[in-house]
Amino acid sequence: MSETPEIKQQLPEREKKIADNIAIKLGKDVLGIEIKPKRIKVKIKYKCIKKAANYFKTELNLDHIVSVSGVDYPNDNEIEVVYHAGTYERKDLRDLLIALAYRIPRENPKTQTLIDIWPSIEYDERETHEMLGVFFEGHPKLEKLFLPEDWNDKPPLRKDFKNPGR
Amino acid sequence: MSEIRTFPDFLKRLIIVLGGLLFLAIIIFGVLIYTVPAISNFNNILLESFSNPIVMLNYLDSLGVGINSLFFKIVIFPGYTWAALIAAEIIWFERKFLGKMQMRVGPLYAGLIGGILQPLADVVKLLSKEMISPGRSDKLIFYSIPLLINAIGAALLVVLPVSEGWLIMRSDVSILIVFAVIGFAPISVLLAGWASNSKFPFIGGLRGLHQMIAFEIPMLMAALSVVLLSGSLDLVNIVQAQSSIWFIVLMPIGAIVFFIALLAELERIPFDIPEAESEIVVGYITEYSSMAFGNIQLGTYIRFYALSGIFTTLFLGGWYGPQFLPARFEIINQIEWFTLKTLLVMVIIIILRGVNPRFRIDLLLRFGWSRLLVLAILNLFIAIMILQMGWFPFLGGI
Amino acid sequence: MSELTISVGPQHPGSGHFRLIVKLDGDKIVEVIPDPGYVHRGEEKIAEYRNYIQNIPHFERPAIHDSSNILFAYVQAVEDLMNLKIPERGQYIRVIMAELNRIIAHLYYFAIYGIFVGHSTMFMWPMGDREHFIDLAQMISGQRVGFAFLIPGGVRNDIPEGMMTRVNDACNYFEKRLTEYERIFMNNPIFEKRAKGIGKLSKEDAIKLGVVGPTLRASGVKADIRKDEPYAVYDKLDFDIPVSKDCDSWARAWVHIEEMRQSMSIIKQALKDMPSGPVKLNLRGQIRAPPGEAFSRAEASRGAVSFYLVSNGGMNPYRIRLITPSFRNLIAIPHILKGLLLADIPPAFWSLDYWPVEADR
Repeated sequence: MSETPEIKQQLPEREKKIADNIAIKLGKDVLGIEIKPKRIKVKIKYKCIKKAANYFKTELNLDHIVSVSGVDYPNDNEIEVVYHAGTYERKDLRDLLIALAYRIPRENPKTQTLIDIWPSIEYDERETHEMLGVFFEGHPKLEKLFLPEDWNDKPPLRKDFKNPGR
Repeated sequence: MSEIRTFPDFLKRLIIVLGGLLFLAIIIFGVLIYTVPAISNFNNILLESFSNPIVMLNYLDSLGVGINSLFFKIVIFPGYTWAALIAAEIIWFERKFLGKMQMRVGPLYAGLIGGILQPLADVVKLLSKEMISPGRSDKLIFYSIPLLINAIGAALLVVLPVSEGWLIMRSDVSILIVFAVIGFAPISVLLAGWASNSKFPFIGGLRGLHQMIAFEIPMLMAALSVVLLSGSLDLVNIVQAQSSIWFIVLMPIGAIVFFIALLAELERIPFDIPEAESEIVVGYITEYSSMAFGNIQLGTYIRFYALSGIFTTLFLGGWYGPQFLPARFEIINQIEWFTLKTLLVMVIIIILRGVNPRFRIDLLLRFGWSRLLVLAILNLFIAIMILQMGWFPFLGGI
Repeated sequence: MSELTISVGPQHPGSGHFRLIVKLDGDKIVEVIPDPGYVHRGEEKIAEYRNYIQNIPHFERPAIHDSSNILFAYVQAVEDLMNLKIPERGQYIRVIMAELNRIIAHLYYFAIYGIFVGHSTMFMWPMGDREHFIDLAQMISGQRVGFAFLIPGGVRNDIPEGMMTRVNDACNYFEKRLTEYERIFMNNPIFEKRAKGIGKLSKEDAIKLGVVGPTLRASGVKADIRKDEPYAVYDKLDFDIPVSKDCDSWARAWVHIEEMRQSMSIIKQALKDMPSGPVKLNLRGQIRAPPGEAFSRAEASRGAVSFYLVSNGGMNPYRIRLITPSFRNLIAIPHILKGLLLADIPPAFWSLDYWPVEADR
């Protein structure tokens, strides 16, 4: 579902323009862009995550991250890491959230951290690490945040971890 | 009862046994006074004494425990029992009053009227708890601190002038005695914190030490200005010098300085940093339980009463008040006015508890050493000026 | 003096169910390491075992005080996927419940603030006044604390008769009480000394660290989801966003008081402007969201709460990610506590309104 749903009648103009700019700038690295009113999701290749993040921070003025999520797709054997970025500085873009998503293989989920671009995601990346097993290279302190220190089971949010008793 | 293995254990047993024996002794003594003579002599005079209080009082005089004897003054009135009763009543009153200020009821169920037996219920509860201490604490000091705090409060009661002729002890240097006894208070707080061998009581003890030392000096200087004006170190003479005008009118700054220093010495809100609950649990009394805790509370409230009494003596004119009883009962009138004024001071201190949050230790020390000290010195100058100008004719003079 | 490491730990009357590892040099704080995770339940994993209706009371629980605001974000994410349009009366009732919850949560904030600075009256008064608003919420929803009142499609029930007079009485009473709070607490010289200038968070740092809620607004950034990305009927209501440039703990407490005033005016307006009509859509059968993704935000009392919902068309959500305002503000704690004294931890730390249950989920 990439084009307009039935909620709004007109095409979201602003989102389309921004999506076109992103597609032009990042070129072949973009695997797909989904546009909804006030939400844009940009799927990119894992290798150019830093370049895209820099572009978001400097050109589009997205100065803070709202959430870092990991979604486990065992059928595709991949884990998708999604960064939702928003802006406080640009008041006209305050209601817009642009998501940066990439997929990494499930057996060896290694990726780079974006903490030097957005310092506010220290605890989000730690949580994604302990819940899904994603290893963020370059993170200063990748320890357990919520789980107990002696947790020796699978990362809980993976689909093959069943809650005890279910 | 547990085994006695060490000296502190023996001390603990001693406290309990002595306390119990004392209690028992008072009861037995009281009973014996009435029954033994009646059984052994079976005299008409003694039967008559039950209905004639004057004969009874003479009989008690002959035993040495009459109303004018030292025993009565120290133990019953205006000594320890009276102070303990006032302390218990003020505990209840504080909880009830604060409750009304905070839109709730306070103690309600213990006793007939509005939970008036609540302090008794608290004492019974505390007696039934286990007295434990941290494993590696210094048991000797740990268990002597409640006694020390009680002793400080009790020693202050000795020089408190409740009336002109009838008081426990009158000496030429009463104020010096008061300040010497108050000087023990910071030591007790520090030792309590240190002997508990735990981080939070230690921090509380250190803070208490700093706070009390910082505020003793302005207190002393405010009292010094009163001594200058009245010309004597004797508390009775100080009160007699206020027969025409109270010192609070002549030296309002001094009264305020003394009042604020009083709050700091008593560790009442807004200066209850040594017991700051949300930061260091309960401060230096964290590790105390059962009757040790009860003794500390009792000692603190008796000191509260005693120091408020000192404030009344120094600034509010002691026992002077309009005479509305017949002249024969002048002593009772004096005692009553003294008690009334002291209770008024205590109520004001309780009101301050309801409206204020807590100070921070560095702000408090800065306040005590810089601003309060300056005000106290200013007050001293005012006192000297009043003296030199001869605006205040006084008894005895310098 | 050598460094002392203490735990302002879970068993401490000054922390809540949360641990701060504090490294002290004398009385000055050198470093603070927050240690959350004592009340972690795995709510995101549990949500995958429940269907969309069962998740409503489930997602209330992280922040039970302002439960309606968190549910606002959740039901909007579900409705976004299902393309539902809510009847207008339902939207107004949702706004009323959300604002009532905001006042209730803010009063709880002040009560605990009173305890942390040692002001027992400021603990008792807000807790007592909270009862008026809890009674109002009970009139509407039947529950005192966990309402579970917002459902995908509207709200559960209509409001009863006579709500307007009750709300007016409560708001008039509370306006007078707010002036009393200001006199006894906010303008108390001792509290001002303890809170003004303590725990500064500059505007640049606030934006860089991505904090949300009253913390952000007290640092000079006028950002509120209700105005930036209006949901429900907030664009039809007239209210203001209090912003302060002082960036310290006192400013954060002040923002909370002003927000309570604004909430009262929103409730009165919403009650007056409410049209008549149904309050919920007639959704027969189970709620089943079509495959897709949705990200919705709402302004809870502590800040912006977000839901990221991934659905694969099944009865249960495939993945729900919940970002609570306390979790977002966690990064600000070490930042503002550096360089303060040990005695400053309670007023500064609580002014961020960090609720451990919400952050741990």
